[in-house]
Amino acid sequence: MIKVENLNKSFDGVQVLKNINVEYEQGKCNMIIGASGSGKTVLLKNLIGLMEPDSGDISYGDVKLSQMSDKEKMKLRQNIGILFQGSALFDFATVIENVMFPMEFFTDWSKAQMRERAQYCLEKVNVIGSDDKYPSELSGGMQKRVGIARAIALNPSYLFCDEPNSGLDPYTSILIDRLISDLTKEFNMTTVVNTHDMNSILEIGDKIGFIHQGSMLWQGDKKTILQPDCKELKDFVCANTLARNIIDGI
Amino acid sequence: MVRSFFESAGRYLLFLKKVFRRPEKWRIFWRQCVIEADKLIISSILLVGVISLFIGGVLVIQTASNLENPIIDKMYIGYMVRESLILEFCSTMVALILAGKMGSNISSEIGSMRITEQIDAMDMMGVNSAGFLVLPKIAVTTILSPLLMLLSLALGLVGGYVVVETTQIIPTASYITGIKAFYNGFYIFYSCFKMSLFCFMISSIAAFNGYYAKGGSLGVGRSSTKAIVVTSILILLADLIVTQLMLY
Repeated sequence: MIKVENLNKSFDGVQVLKNINVEYEQGKCNMIIGASGSGKTVLLKNLIGLMEPDSGDISYGDVKLSQMSDKEKMKLRQNIGILFQGSALFDFATVIENVMFPMEFFTDWSKAQMRERAQYCLEKVNVIGSDDKYPSELSGGMQKRVGIARAIALNPSYLFCDEPNSGLDPYTSILIDRLISDLTKEFNMTTVVNTHDMNSILEIGDKIGFIHQGSMLWQGDKKTILQPDCKELKDFVCANTLARNIIDGI
Repeated sequence: MVRSFFESAGRYLLFLKKVFRRPEKWRIFWRQCVIEADKLIISSILLVGVISLFIGGVLVIQTASNLENPIIDKMYIGYMVRESLILEFCSTMVALILAGKMGSNISSEIGSMRITEQIDAMDMMGVNSAGFLVLPKIAVTTILSPLLMLLSLALGLVGGYVVVETTQIIPTASYITGIKAFYNGFYIFYSCFKMSLFCFMISSIAAFNGYYAKGGSLGVGRSSTKAIVVTSILILLADLIVTQLMLY
Protein backbone atom coordinates (compact mmCIF):
# COMPACT_ATOMS: atom_id res chain seq x y z
CA MET A 1 0.00 0.00 0.00
CA ILE A 2 1.11 3.57 -0.72
CA LYS A 3 -0.14 6.39 1.48
CA VAL A 4 0.07 10.07 0.53
CA GLU A 5 -0.49 12.63 3.29
CA ASN A 6 -0.82 16.40 2.92
CA LEU A 7 1.38 16.50 -0.18
CA ASN A 8 2.21 19.93 -1.58
CA LYS A 9 4.41 20.83 -4.52
CA SER A 10 5.00 24.14 -6.29
CA PHE A 11 7.16 25.43 -9.15
CA ASP A 12 8.29 29.07 -9.28
CA GLY A 13 5.64 30.12 -6.79
CA VAL A 14 2.81 28.29 -8.58
CA GLN A 15 1.30 25.56 -6.43
CA VAL A 16 0.85 22.50 -8.63
CA LEU A 17 -0.25 20.02 -5.93
CA LYS A 18 -2.40 21.19 -3.04
CA ASN A 19 -2.70 19.11 0.11
CA ILE A 20 -3.14 15.72 -1.56
CA ASN A 21 -4.32 12.87 0.68
CA VAL A 22 -4.86 9.45 -0.87
CA GLU A 23 -4.17 5.74 -0.32
CA TYR A 24 -3.28 3.32 -3.11
CA GLU A 25 -4.27 -0.25 -2.33
CA GLN A 26 -2.52 -3.52 -3.04
CA GLY A 27 -3.97 -5.78 -5.74
CA LYS A 28 -5.94 -2.93 -7.27
CA CYS A 29 -5.61 -0.60 -10.27
CA ASN A 30 -5.52 2.82 -8.64
CA MET A 31 -6.15 5.57 -11.17
CA ILE A 32 -5.05 9.20 -11.05
CA ILE A 33 -7.30 11.06 -13.46
CA GLY A 34 -7.70 14.67 -14.49
CA ALA A 35 -7.35 17.06 -17.40
CA SER A 36 -3.97 17.86 -18.96
CA GLY A 37 -2.01 20.20 -16.69
CA SER A 38 -4.01 19.26 -13.59
CA GLY A 39 -0.95 17.87 -11.77
CA LYS A 40 -1.27 14.12 -12.43
CA THR A 41 2.24 13.63 -13.74
CA VAL A 42 3.73 15.77 -10.96
CA LEU A 43 1.93 13.57 -8.41
CA LEU A 44 3.23 10.43 -10.13
CA LYS A 45 6.79 11.80 -10.21
CA ASN A 46 6.56 12.60 -6.50
CA LEU A 47 5.28 9.10 -5.81
CA ILE A 48 8.20 7.44 -7.59
CA GLY A 49 10.78 9.84 -6.18
CA LEU A 50 11.73 11.63 -9.38
CA MET A 51 10.58 14.85 -7.63
CA GLU A 52 10.73 15.88 -3.97
CA PRO A 53 7.54 17.27 -2.41
CA ASP A 54 7.68 20.68 -0.72
CA SER A 55 5.79 19.25 2.26
CA GLY A 56 3.81 16.16 3.17
CA ASP A 57 4.67 12.49 3.26
CA ILE A 58 4.58 9.48 0.96
CA SER A 59 4.76 6.09 2.69
CA TYR A 60 5.48 2.74 1.10
CA GLY A 61 4.03 0.27 3.55
CA ASP A 62 5.03 1.65 6.95
CA VAL A 63 8.14 3.48 5.77
CA LYS A 64 8.09 7.14 4.78
CA LEU A 65 9.95 7.98 1.57
CA SER A 66 11.40 11.14 3.13
CA GLN A 67 12.97 9.12 5.96
CA MET A 68 14.59 6.51 3.73
CA SER A 69 18.36 6.57 3.22
CA ASP A 70 19.72 6.61 -0.34
CA LYS A 71 20.46 2.89 0.00
CA GLU A 72 16.88 2.15 1.09
CA LYS A 73 15.54 4.25 -1.78
CA MET A 74 17.69 2.29 -4.24
CA LYS A 75 16.35 -0.95 -2.79
CA LEU A 76 12.78 0.32 -3.04
CA ARG A 77 13.33 1.31 -6.67
CA GLN A 78 14.26 -2.27 -7.49
CA ASN A 79 10.83 -3.18 -6.18
CA ILE A 80 9.07 -0.68 -8.44
CA GLY A 81 8.15 -1.23 -12.09
CA ILE A 82 7.39 1.77 -14.27
CA LEU A 83 5.76 2.04 -17.65
CA PHE A 84 6.57 5.42 -19.12
CA GLN A 85 4.30 7.35 -21.47
CA GLY A 86 6.65 6.84 -24.42
CA SER A 87 7.62 3.33 -23.23
CA ALA A 88 11.24 4.52 -22.69
CA LEU A 89 12.70 1.34 -24.13
CA PHE A 90 16.47 1.48 -24.57
CA ASP A 91 17.30 2.15 -28.22
CA PHE A 92 20.64 0.37 -27.94
CA ALA A 93 19.11 -2.92 -26.81
CA THR A 94 16.90 -5.53 -28.44
CA VAL A 95 13.51 -6.50 -26.98
CA ILE A 96 14.94 -9.36 -24.91
CA GLU A 97 17.92 -7.27 -23.78
CA ASN A 98 15.54 -4.53 -22.65
CA VAL A 99 13.65 -6.99 -20.44
CA MET A 100 16.89 -8.55 -19.18
CA PHE A 101 18.42 -5.14 -18.36
CA PRO A 102 17.21 -4.85 -14.71
CA MET A 103 18.05 -8.52 -14.10
CA GLU A 104 21.65 -7.98 -15.23
CA PHE A 105 22.10 -5.31 -12.58
CA PHE A 106 20.18 -6.70 -9.66
CA THR A 107 20.36 -10.48 -9.84
CA ASP A 108 23.13 -13.02 -9.94
CA TRP A 109 21.26 -15.19 -12.40
CA SER A 110 23.05 -16.84 -15.28
CA LYS A 111 22.43 -15.60 -18.81
CA ALA A 112 20.17 -18.61 -19.46
CA GLN A 113 18.08 -17.91 -16.33
CA MET A 114 17.71 -14.25 -17.28
CA ARG A 115 16.67 -15.17 -20.81
CA GLU A 116 14.14 -17.67 -19.46
CA ARG A 117 12.61 -15.08 -17.11
CA ALA A 118 12.58 -12.43 -19.88
CA GLN A 119 10.81 -14.82 -22.22
CA TYR A 120 8.27 -15.63 -19.49
CA CYS A 121 7.56 -11.88 -19.03
CA LEU A 122 7.29 -11.37 -22.79
CA GLU A 123 4.86 -14.28 -23.05
CA LYS A 124 2.78 -12.73 -20.24
CA VAL A 125 2.38 -9.56 -22.32
CA ASN A 126 1.89 -11.56 -25.50
CA VAL A 127 5.06 -10.50 -27.32
CA ILE A 128 6.33 -13.64 -28.98
CA GLY A 129 8.94 -14.01 -31.72
CA SER A 130 10.28 -10.45 -31.45
CA ASP A 131 13.17 -11.12 -29.06
CA ASP A 132 15.88 -9.83 -31.38
CA LYS A 133 14.04 -6.82 -32.76
CA TYR A 134 14.99 -3.29 -31.74
CA PRO A 135 12.37 -0.93 -30.24
CA SER A 136 12.32 1.17 -33.42
CA GLU A 137 11.10 -1.91 -35.32
CA LEU A 138 8.03 -2.31 -33.09
CA SER A 139 4.59 -0.68 -33.22
CA GLY A 140 3.46 1.63 -30.39
CA GLY A 141 1.32 -1.10 -28.82
CA MET A 142 4.16 -3.61 -28.94
CA GLN A 143 6.52 -1.09 -27.36
CA LYS A 144 4.06 -0.61 -24.48
CA ARG A 145 3.84 -4.36 -24.00
CA VAL A 146 7.63 -4.70 -23.92
CA GLY A 147 7.69 -1.75 -21.48
CA ILE A 148 5.29 -3.67 -19.22
CA ALA A 149 7.37 -6.84 -19.54
CA ARG A 150 10.47 -4.89 -18.46
CA ALA A 151 8.53 -3.30 -15.60
CA ILE A 152 7.49 -6.68 -14.17
CA ALA A 153 10.83 -8.40 -14.84
CA LEU A 154 11.95 -8.30 -11.21
CA ASN A 155 8.48 -9.17 -9.92
CA PRO A 156 7.89 -5.76 -8.31
CA SER A 157 5.38 -4.97 -5.56
CA TYR A 158 4.54 -1.61 -7.13
CA LEU A 159 3.70 -0.78 -10.74
CA PHE A 160 3.35 2.78 -12.01
CA CYS A 161 1.98 3.53 -15.47
CA ASP A 162 2.10 7.02 -16.95
CA GLU A 163 -0.64 7.34 -19.59
CA PRO A 164 -0.23 3.74 -20.76
CA ASN A 165 -2.50 4.07 -23.78
CA SER A 166 -1.58 7.48 -25.13
CA GLY A 167 -1.15 7.30 -28.89
CA LEU A 168 -2.79 3.88 -29.18
CA ASP A 169 -5.97 2.93 -31.04
CA PRO A 170 -9.01 2.10 -28.84
CA TYR A 171 -8.71 -1.66 -29.38
CA THR A 172 -5.00 -1.80 -28.44
CA SER A 173 -5.69 0.56 -25.53
CA ILE A 174 -8.22 -1.80 -24.05
CA LEU A 175 -5.81 -4.74 -24.48
CA ILE A 176 -3.08 -2.83 -22.66
CA ASP A 177 -5.53 -1.82 -19.90
CA ARG A 178 -6.68 -5.41 -19.40
CA LEU A 179 -3.09 -6.58 -19.38
CA ILE A 180 -2.21 -4.11 -16.62
CA SER A 181 -5.30 -5.12 -14.65
CA ASP A 182 -4.66 -8.87 -15.04
CA LEU A 183 -0.99 -8.55 -14.04
CA THR A 184 -1.97 -6.44 -11.03
CA LYS A 185 -4.31 -9.15 -9.79
CA GLU A 186 -1.99 -12.04 -10.69
CA PHE A 187 1.08 -10.60 -8.97
CA ASN A 188 -0.91 -8.74 -6.25
CA MET A 189 0.86 -5.47 -7.06
CA THR A 190 -0.07 -1.97 -5.97
CA THR A 191 -0.66 -0.41 -9.38
CA VAL A 192 -1.02 3.32 -9.97
CA VAL A 193 -2.15 4.42 -13.42
CA ASN A 194 -2.04 8.02 -14.54
CA THR A 195 -4.56 8.65 -17.33
CA HIS A 196 -7.21 10.93 -18.76
CA ASP A 197 -8.70 8.25 -20.98
CA MET A 198 -12.32 7.53 -19.95
CA ASN A 199 -12.25 4.09 -21.59
CA SER A 200 -9.36 3.04 -19.34
CA ILE A 201 -11.01 4.54 -16.30
CA LEU A 202 -14.22 2.61 -16.89
CA GLU A 203 -12.37 -0.58 -17.83
CA ILE A 204 -9.89 -1.00 -14.97
CA GLY A 205 -10.49 1.76 -12.39
CA ASP A 206 -10.73 -0.18 -9.12
CA LYS A 207 -10.00 3.02 -7.25
CA ILE A 208 -10.06 6.45 -8.85
CA GLY A 209 -8.80 9.83 -7.65
CA PHE A 210 -9.76 12.94 -9.63
CA ILE A 211 -7.32 15.84 -9.61
CA HIS A 212 -8.42 19.32 -10.65
CA GLN A 213 -6.00 22.27 -10.59
CA GLY A 214 -3.74 20.42 -8.17
CA SER A 215 -6.40 19.39 -5.68
CA MET A 216 -7.80 15.88 -5.19
CA LEU A 217 -11.49 16.77 -5.54
CA TRP A 218 -13.04 13.32 -5.68
CA GLN A 219 -12.27 9.67 -4.92
CA GLY A 220 -14.35 6.67 -5.91
CA ASP A 221 -14.37 3.77 -8.36
CA LYS A 222 -15.51 2.93 -11.91
CA LYS A 223 -19.13 2.47 -10.76
CA THR A 224 -19.49 5.70 -8.80
CA ILE A 225 -17.70 7.84 -11.39
CA LEU A 226 -20.82 7.74 -13.57
CA GLN A 227 -22.81 9.40 -10.79
CA PRO A 228 -20.45 12.28 -10.08
CA ASP A 229 -21.39 14.57 -7.21
CA CYS A 230 -18.74 17.10 -8.12
CA LYS A 231 -19.19 19.64 -10.92
CA GLU A 232 -15.58 19.57 -12.11
CA LEU A 233 -15.61 15.77 -12.35
CA LYS A 234 -18.92 15.85 -14.21
CA ASP A 235 -17.43 18.30 -16.74
CA PHE A 236 -14.41 16.02 -17.14
CA VAL A 237 -16.47 12.84 -17.54
CA CYS A 238 -19.07 14.45 -19.80
CA ALA A 239 -16.46 15.76 -22.22
CA ASN A 240 -17.01 12.39 -23.86
CA THR A 241 -20.38 12.24 -25.69
CA LEU A 242 -20.85 8.55 -24.96
CA ALA A 243 -20.30 9.08 -21.24
CA ARG A 244 -22.61 12.12 -21.29
CA ASN A 245 -25.38 10.02 -22.86
CA ILE A 246 -24.86 7.27 -20.29
CA ILE A 247 -24.97 9.74 -17.39
CA ASP A 248 -28.02 11.52 -18.81
CA GLY A 249 -29.65 8.11 -19.20
CA ILE A 250 -28.94 7.36 -15.56
CA MET B 1 26.82 35.42 -16.85
CA VAL B 2 29.52 34.89 -14.20
CA ARG B 3 26.91 33.29 -11.95
CA SER B 4 25.74 31.05 -14.77
CA PHE B 5 29.36 29.99 -15.43
CA PHE B 6 29.93 29.01 -11.79
CA GLU B 7 26.56 27.24 -11.66
CA SER B 8 27.46 25.19 -14.74
CA ALA B 9 30.94 24.45 -13.37
CA GLY B 10 29.42 23.28 -10.07
CA ARG B 11 26.85 21.10 -11.81
CA TYR B 12 29.62 19.65 -14.00
CA LEU B 13 31.66 18.67 -10.90
CA LEU B 14 28.59 17.11 -9.24
CA PHE B 15 27.93 15.25 -12.49
CA LEU B 16 31.51 13.90 -12.49
CA LYS B 17 31.04 12.80 -8.87
CA LYS B 18 28.00 10.80 -9.99
CA VAL B 19 29.89 9.38 -12.98
CA PHE B 20 32.91 8.23 -10.99
CA ARG B 21 30.97 6.06 -8.55
CA ARG B 22 31.98 2.42 -8.41
CA PRO B 23 30.16 0.54 -11.21
CA GLU B 24 27.31 -1.70 -9.99
CA LYS B 25 28.78 -4.66 -11.87
CA TRP B 26 32.28 -4.71 -13.34
CA ARG B 27 31.25 -7.25 -15.99
CA ILE B 28 28.72 -4.79 -17.42
CA PHE B 29 31.26 -1.96 -17.21
CA TRP B 30 33.90 -3.87 -19.23
CA ARG B 31 31.29 -4.90 -21.81
CA GLN B 32 30.26 -1.26 -22.23
CA CYS B 33 33.93 -0.25 -22.56
CA VAL B 34 34.36 -2.62 -25.50
CA ILE B 35 31.20 -1.25 -27.16
CA GLU B 36 32.30 2.36 -26.62
CA ALA B 37 35.85 1.66 -27.84
CA ASP B 38 34.37 0.45 -31.10
CA LYS B 39 31.91 3.35 -31.36
CA LEU B 40 34.24 6.18 -30.37
CA ILE B 41 37.84 5.14 -31.06
CA ILE B 42 37.83 2.52 -33.82
CA SER B 43 35.24 4.42 -35.82
CA SER B 44 37.49 7.52 -35.66
CA ILE B 45 40.50 5.80 -37.19
CA LEU B 46 39.48 6.44 -40.80
CA LEU B 47 38.77 10.13 -40.24
CA VAL B 48 41.97 10.72 -38.27
CA GLY B 49 43.98 8.64 -40.76
CA VAL B 50 42.80 10.47 -43.89
CA ILE B 51 43.24 13.93 -42.36
CA SER B 52 46.71 13.09 -41.00
CA LEU B 53 47.84 11.68 -44.35
CA PHE B 54 46.89 14.86 -46.18
CA ILE B 55 48.11 17.28 -43.51
CA GLY B 56 51.51 15.48 -43.48
CA GLY B 57 51.79 16.02 -47.23
CA VAL B 58 50.67 19.64 -47.07
CA LEU B 59 53.12 20.39 -44.22
CA VAL B 60 56.02 19.12 -46.35
CA ILE B 61 55.05 21.38 -49.27
CA GLN B 62 54.46 24.44 -47.07
CA THR B 63 57.67 23.96 -45.08
CA ALA B 64 59.69 23.38 -48.25
CA SER B 65 58.30 26.51 -49.88
CA ASN B 66 59.34 28.55 -46.83
CA LEU B 67 62.83 27.09 -46.62
CA GLU B 68 64.28 27.70 -50.05
CA ASN B 69 67.55 29.14 -48.69
CA PRO B 70 70.34 26.93 -50.11
CA ILE B 71 72.36 27.32 -46.91
CA ILE B 72 69.75 25.48 -44.84
CA ASP B 73 70.00 21.71 -45.03
CA LYS B 74 66.87 20.14 -46.62
CA MET B 75 66.71 17.59 -43.84
CA TYR B 76 65.34 20.37 -41.61
CA ILE B 77 62.13 20.21 -43.62
CA GLY B 78 61.55 16.64 -42.45
CA TYR B 79 62.56 17.62 -38.93
CA MET B 80 60.12 20.56 -38.83
CA VAL B 81 57.28 18.48 -40.26
CA ARG B 82 57.81 15.86 -37.55
CA GLU B 83 57.96 18.43 -34.77
CA SER B 84 54.83 20.21 -36.04
CA LEU B 85 52.99 16.93 -36.15
CA ILE B 86 54.08 15.80 -32.69
CA LEU B 87 53.75 19.07 -30.85
CA GLU B 88 50.52 20.44 -32.20
CA PHE B 89 48.74 18.70 -35.05
CA CYS B 90 48.47 15.12 -33.77
CA SER B 91 47.13 16.16 -30.38
CA THR B 92 45.46 19.57 -30.49
CA MET B 93 44.22 19.65 -34.09
CA VAL B 94 43.11 16.02 -34.03
CA ALA B 95 41.36 16.67 -30.69
CA LEU B 96 39.49 19.63 -32.22
CA ILE B 97 38.38 17.37 -35.06
CA LEU B 98 37.32 14.69 -32.56
CA ALA B 99 35.45 17.31 -30.51
CA GLY B 100 33.13 17.58 -33.50
CA LYS B 101 32.83 13.89 -34.22
CA MET B 102 32.91 12.30 -30.75
CA GLY B 103 31.37 15.28 -28.98
CA SER B 104 28.27 15.45 -31.16
CA ASN B 105 27.94 11.65 -31.08
CA ILE B 106 28.05 11.48 -27.26
CA SER B 107 25.93 14.55 -26.63
CA SER B 108 23.17 13.67 -29.08
CA GLU B 109 23.05 10.02 -27.98
CA ILE B 110 22.71 10.85 -24.29
CA GLY B 111 20.46 13.86 -24.99
CA SER B 112 18.02 11.71 -27.01
CA MET B 113 17.95 9.21 -24.17
CA ARG B 114 17.17 12.01 -21.74
CA ILE B 115 14.22 13.44 -23.69
CA THR B 116 12.72 10.01 -24.38
CA GLU B 117 12.82 9.21 -20.63
CA GLN B 118 15.29 6.34 -21.08
CA ILE B 119 17.60 7.90 -18.47
CA ASP B 120 14.65 8.35 -16.08
CA ALA B 121 13.80 4.68 -16.63
CA MET B 122 17.36 3.66 -15.65
CA ASP B 123 17.36 5.89 -12.58
CA MET B 124 14.01 4.49 -11.52
CA MET B 125 15.33 0.94 -11.79
CA GLY B 126 18.02 1.97 -9.32
CA VAL B 127 20.79 1.97 -11.93
CA ASN B 128 23.34 4.82 -11.78
CA SER B 129 22.56 6.09 -15.28
CA ALA B 130 25.51 8.49 -15.36
CA GLY B 131 27.90 5.72 -14.37
CA PHE B 132 26.47 3.22 -16.83
CA LEU B 133 26.29 5.58 -19.81
CA VAL B 134 29.16 7.99 -19.28
CA LEU B 135 31.98 6.30 -17.32
CA PRO B 136 32.85 3.80 -20.09
CA LYS B 137 32.92 6.63 -22.64
CA ILE B 138 35.27 8.74 -20.51
CA ALA B 139 37.48 5.76 -19.62
CA VAL B 140 37.81 4.58 -23.21
CA THR B 141 38.43 7.99 -24.79
CA THR B 142 40.94 9.02 -22.10
CA ILE B 143 42.93 5.79 -22.13
CA LEU B 144 42.85 4.87 -25.81
CA SER B 145 43.07 8.30 -27.47
CA PRO B 146 46.92 8.40 -27.32
CA LEU B 147 46.79 5.50 -29.81
CA LEU B 148 44.93 7.80 -32.19
CA MET B 149 47.63 10.40 -31.67
CA LEU B 150 50.38 7.88 -32.48
CA LEU B 151 48.45 6.70 -35.55
CA SER B 152 48.03 10.30 -36.66
CA LEU B 153 51.77 10.91 -36.27
CA ALA B 154 52.68 7.79 -38.23
CA LEU B 155 50.27 8.56 -41.06
CA GLY B 156 51.27 12.23 -41.12
CA LEU B 157 54.89 11.21 -41.65
CA VAL B 158 53.80 8.71 -44.32
CA GLY B 159 51.79 11.48 -46.04
CA GLY B 160 54.89 13.65 -46.08
CA TYR B 161 56.95 10.77 -47.44
CA VAL B 162 54.47 10.13 -50.26
CA VAL B 163 54.59 13.79 -51.30
CA VAL B 164 58.41 13.85 -51.14
CA GLU B 165 58.66 10.62 -53.11
CA THR B 166 56.17 11.64 -55.82
CA THR B 167 57.13 15.32 -56.25
CA GLN B 168 60.84 15.17 -55.27
CA ILE B 169 60.32 18.56 -53.65
CA ILE B 170 63.29 17.58 -51.47
CA PRO B 171 65.48 14.47 -51.69
CA THR B 172 63.84 11.47 -50.00
CA ALA B 173 66.99 10.70 -48.04
CA SER B 174 66.98 14.22 -46.54
CA TYR B 175 63.36 13.82 -45.48
CA ILE B 176 64.10 10.47 -43.82
CA THR B 177 67.17 11.92 -42.08
CA GLY B 178 65.09 14.91 -40.94
CA ILE B 179 62.30 12.92 -39.37
CA LYS B 180 64.88 10.91 -37.39
CA ALA B 181 66.95 13.91 -36.28
CA PHE B 182 67.13 15.36 -32.72
CA TYR B 183 64.48 12.98 -31.44
CA ASN B 184 63.05 13.91 -28.03
CA GLY B 185 60.91 11.18 -26.44
CA PHE B 186 59.41 13.63 -23.96
CA TYR B 187 57.56 15.35 -26.81
CA ILE B 188 55.74 12.08 -27.55
CA PHE B 189 54.74 11.80 -23.88
CA TYR B 190 53.66 15.47 -23.89
CA SER B 191 51.51 14.94 -26.97
CA CYS B 192 49.95 11.72 -25.64
CA PHE B 193 49.19 13.45 -22.34
CA LYS B 194 47.54 16.37 -24.13
CA MET B 195 45.47 14.01 -26.25
CA SER B 196 44.27 12.11 -23.17
CA LEU B 197 43.36 15.32 -21.38
CA PHE B 198 41.55 16.76 -24.40
CA CYS B 199 39.59 13.55 -24.98
CA PHE B 200 38.61 13.46 -21.30
CA MET B 201 37.28 17.00 -21.77
CA ILE B 202 35.48 16.08 -24.99
CA SER B 203 33.69 13.04 -23.55
CA SER B 204 32.85 14.49 -20.14
CA ILE B 205 31.62 17.90 -21.38
CA ALA B 206 29.60 16.37 -24.23
CA ALA B 207 28.07 13.82 -21.86
CA PHE B 208 27.28 16.55 -19.33
CA ASN B 209 25.48 18.63 -21.96
CA GLY B 210 23.54 15.63 -23.25
CA TYR B 211 22.67 14.38 -19.76
CA TYR B 212 20.98 17.66 -18.84
CA ALA B 213 19.42 18.29 -22.27
CA LYS B 214 15.85 19.54 -22.23
CA GLY B 215 13.38 20.94 -24.71
CA GLY B 216 12.79 18.05 -27.12
CA SER B 217 14.79 17.47 -30.29
CA LEU B 218 15.70 21.16 -30.53
CA GLY B 219 17.18 20.90 -27.04
CA VAL B 220 19.27 17.91 -28.10
CA GLY B 221 20.60 19.91 -31.08
CA ARG B 222 21.36 22.87 -28.82
CA SER B 223 23.16 20.72 -26.26
CA SER B 224 25.21 19.11 -29.01
CA THR B 225 26.27 22.45 -30.49
CA LYS B 226 27.04 23.87 -27.05
CA ALA B 227 29.15 20.83 -26.19
CA ILE B 228 31.29 21.26 -29.33
CA VAL B 229 31.75 25.03 -28.92
CA VAL B 230 32.59 24.85 -25.21
CA THR B 231 34.94 21.89 -25.66
CA SER B 232 36.78 23.51 -28.57
CA ILE B 233 37.43 26.69 -26.60
CA LEU B 234 38.49 24.77 -23.50
CA ILE B 235 40.83 22.56 -25.54
CA LEU B 236 42.65 25.64 -26.86
CA LEU B 237 42.85 27.12 -23.36
CA ALA B 238 44.10 23.83 -21.88
CA ASP B 239 46.63 23.55 -24.72
CA LEU B 240 48.09 26.91 -23.77
CA ILE B 241 48.29 26.04 -20.06
CA VAL B 242 49.67 22.52 -20.51
CA THR B 243 52.28 23.73 -23.02
CA GLN B 244 53.43 26.44 -20.65
CA LEU B 245 53.62 23.99 -17.76
CA MET B 246 55.29 21.10 -19.57
CA LEU B 247 57.61 22.75 -22.08
CA TYR B 248 58.88 25.72 -20.05
